Formats: sequence, structure tokens, C-alpha cells
Amino acid sequence: MTWILDFYNYRIVEQYLGRFAEGLENTLIAAAVSLVVAVILGTLLAFGRMSSRAMLWRPVAAYVEFVRATPLLVQIYLIYYGLPFLVPVTRRWSELALGIIALSLHNAAYMSEIVRAGVASVSRGQIEGGKAVGMSYLQRLRYIVLPQAFANTLPPLLGQTAVLIKDTSLLSIIAVFDFLSAGLLLNSERVRPNESFLTIAAGYLAIYAVMLGLSWLVRRRLAGPAWNAGR
Amino acid sequence: MLQHYLSVTIAILPFLWSGFVQTFWISLVAIVAGSVLGFVIGIVRSQRVPVLHQLFGLYIHLLRGTPFLVQLYVFYFVLPNTGIAALQWSSDMAAFVSLSVYTSSYVAEIVMAAIDGIPAGQWEAAESLGLKRIPVLGLVILPQALKLTVPPMSGVYVNIIKNTAILSVIGISELTRQGEITIMRYPRDVLFVYGLIAAIYFVYCYPVLRFTRWAERKVGGTRHVDLD
Repeated sequence: MTWILDFYNYRIVEQYLGRFAEGLENTLIAAAVSLVVAVILGTLLAFGRMSSRAMLWRPVAAYVEFVRATPLLVQIYLIYYGLPFLVPVTRRWSELALGIIALSLHNAAYMSEIVRAGVASVSRGQIEGGKAVGMSYLQRLRYIVLPQAFANTLPPLLGQTAVLIKDTSLLSIIAVFDFLSAGLLLNSERVRPNESFLTIAAGYLAIYAVMLGLSWLVRRRLAGPAWNAGR
Repeated sequence: MLQHYLSVTIAILPFLWSGFVQTFWISLVAIVAGSVLGFVIGIVRSQRVPVLHQLFGLYIHLLRGTPFLVQLYVFYFVLPNTGIAALQWSSDMAAFVSLSVYTSSYVAEIVMAAIDGIPAGQWEAAESLGLKRIPVLGLVILPQALKLTVPPMSGVYVNIIKNTAILSVIGISELTRQGEITIMRYPRDVLFVYGLIAAIYFVYCYPVLRFTRWAERKVGGTRHVDLD
């Protein structure tokens, strides 16, 4: 049995369980808050992007392109160092709050593309059919476009959520005590890379497994057989 | 004010340039190595060889289920700790290997989806002409499938360029790391320096992003493979 303890001494991990739990809590908070903000902001951006007014869609398009063509780490640095400089109120905000803002702004761009694709996936004929039976714009949106767009949006949205959870690990670089930071702490105090990083990897894999199960359920239950036929 | 920014730009540009050259090379080397590895895995997986298929499936899940930063730490801290001499590598090597392995998982999925996307009639027609499995794959299926991989592959390329920024945490002197160093000299211009860095990444990534969209329209009808 000693070779296992040499390679992976779970007793050390046991001592750090409290710190791992603390880190996991921050990771989940960061992921949950930025997910909600990103979906709301992303939906607004998507409708802005689909507008026919150039004053509206051009800035939104530029923003989305900027987010997609620059690394998230640089965006996090821009918010972390830049926001307290531009908006003095944020100077007293925690690293976690600034990190959540950066993740929200980053993911809002991706979410807006997902929502846009979901709305675009509702075929023209559906909307014309609504017009033909005399529905108003809001009625068409409520009864025809949104229900179908929602079903089409959910699978890529869950995929982006999985990416978002993985991306929260970058917050460890701006000194947020997230799940990865707990492992880094263990490694710096005990110099045991196996115990720290393999534990972290296993933790993220467990989260990933939950997300996989969730998207499997959504595909089966919400969408139904007819919708799955095309895939 | 403008004079100040101009002088800062002129002072730091050589450093940022050398960082960009590093970013450029490491992203290029990683896409080549990762693509070769990914193509092999994707082709093997598309043939549904019993044990290999599941084994490579696990490999892909392991790489997709963990953040790249964690993978980088595993390659940088854990593997040299195993006591195997070949794994006692430098930070440059750890960065290159981890980025290539990470890339291969995405490429493998793209290649498998592209091969699966070729209609079964192509296989049947080629086999009815008397071709064996390998020649069918090499002469009939792959030339068609390769075209389908172009748009998602360039999407992966953008992803790799962006992920090179993460390599700064283990001290690779690429663009982001060079920026951190120059900020020590100009601590008051943090926002400006990072803005400049973001602009350089944008100039590198945006054409590839546009190419992806152009290729998507051109190739058309690709089965959607979601990246990330």
C-alpha cells in the first residue's frame, strides 16, 4: 500500500478538505452569478445585434468581435486593473467581484451569439404563418419564436456553461481563492504536486460529468424525439 | 497626454514585438503538432475499433473536462514529479506539449465528425469497386472529409492563439508575459499597456476568425461541432 501513499497521499488532501470546499464554493458562486448575468446581458446584446438600426447593431457586433478575438486572461486583466481606474467606486470591490464582472462581460458576447443563432433557427415560414393568422409581433414572439428558440438554445447554452465553469479557474491568477487556488496552496505549503493538481483535475472532471448528464437529460426530456430526429 | 502615450508605446513596442513573435511561433508549432496527433486519433476513432475507440474517447473527455490551466499545471508540476527521466522537461517543453495535447482533443473530434459526415454510399460505392478499407479511406473519404474540417479547424486555431496567453503563468515570455514585465516599468499605464496587448491579439486573431466564417459559407452544410 505504501506506493499509493508515495504517489498520492490522501491524508494530506484530507487535511486540506476545508480549503478545497472553500475554493469550490467560490468557483461555483463565480460561475453561477456570471452565468445569470451573461445570459441576461447576452439576450439584450442579441436583440441589439439583430436590430436593423446601424447605430445599435454596429457597436454590439464590434464588442462581440473584440471579445471573441482576444484572450480571456487579457480581458480579466483589463477589468481587474482597468475598472478601478475608470470607475472609482469599484476600487473597494473584491477580486471575486471584479472577476465575476470580467467573466460576465466575456460570456455575454458568446451567449448573444447563441441566442441569435437560436432565434435565427426559427424558420421564416413559422413567422409568416403567425402573420397569416393575424398574430401581432408580440404574440408571434411569445407563441412562435421564443418557445422554439429556447429549445434550440438550451444545448449550446449548456455547452457554454461548461466552458464558463472551466474558465473560472483563470480567476486564480488575479488572487481569487477558487477551487484551483486551494490546490496551489497545498502545493506551495507541502510541495506535493500530485495531491494538489490531480485532486483539482478530478474535481473539475466531476463537475464536467454533472454537466454532461444535465445536457443528456435536456436533449431527451425537453426537446423530445421530433426535435432530435435531425441530429 | 498623447505625447506620453506615444513615448510609452515606442518604449515598450520592442518588448511586445518579441512577445508576439513567441506567441506566434508557439501557436504555430502547437497547431501543427496538435493537428497531426488529433488527425491520427480522429481517424482511428472514426473506424470504431473496439477498445481503441473507448480509450481515445476517455482521452478526449479528460482533456475537455478540465480547464487548460489545470492541464498546464499537471504537465508542468505533476509529470516531472513522476521520476521518469524523459518527463523532466523545461517550462518551454511543458507549455508546448500541454498545448499540443489540448489541441489534439478538439482536432480529433472535428476529424471524426467530418469522416462520419461523408455519406455511407461513398464507402459502399468504393468497396463495390474492389477497394480495401484503407485505400477507401485514403483515396475516397479523407479528400472529401478534409474540406469539411477547414472551418472548425480555423476556429480551433483562434482558440489556441488565445490559450497561449495562459502560458504566461509558467513564465513563458509570450505576449501577455512581456506585457506584465513592461507594466513593472510603467505601473501607471496598466490599462494602456493591456489595451495595446489586446489590440495585438485582435490583429492576429480577427483575420482567422473572418476566415472561419468565410470558409463556413464556402463549404456549407458542415455538421456542427461545438468547440470548447
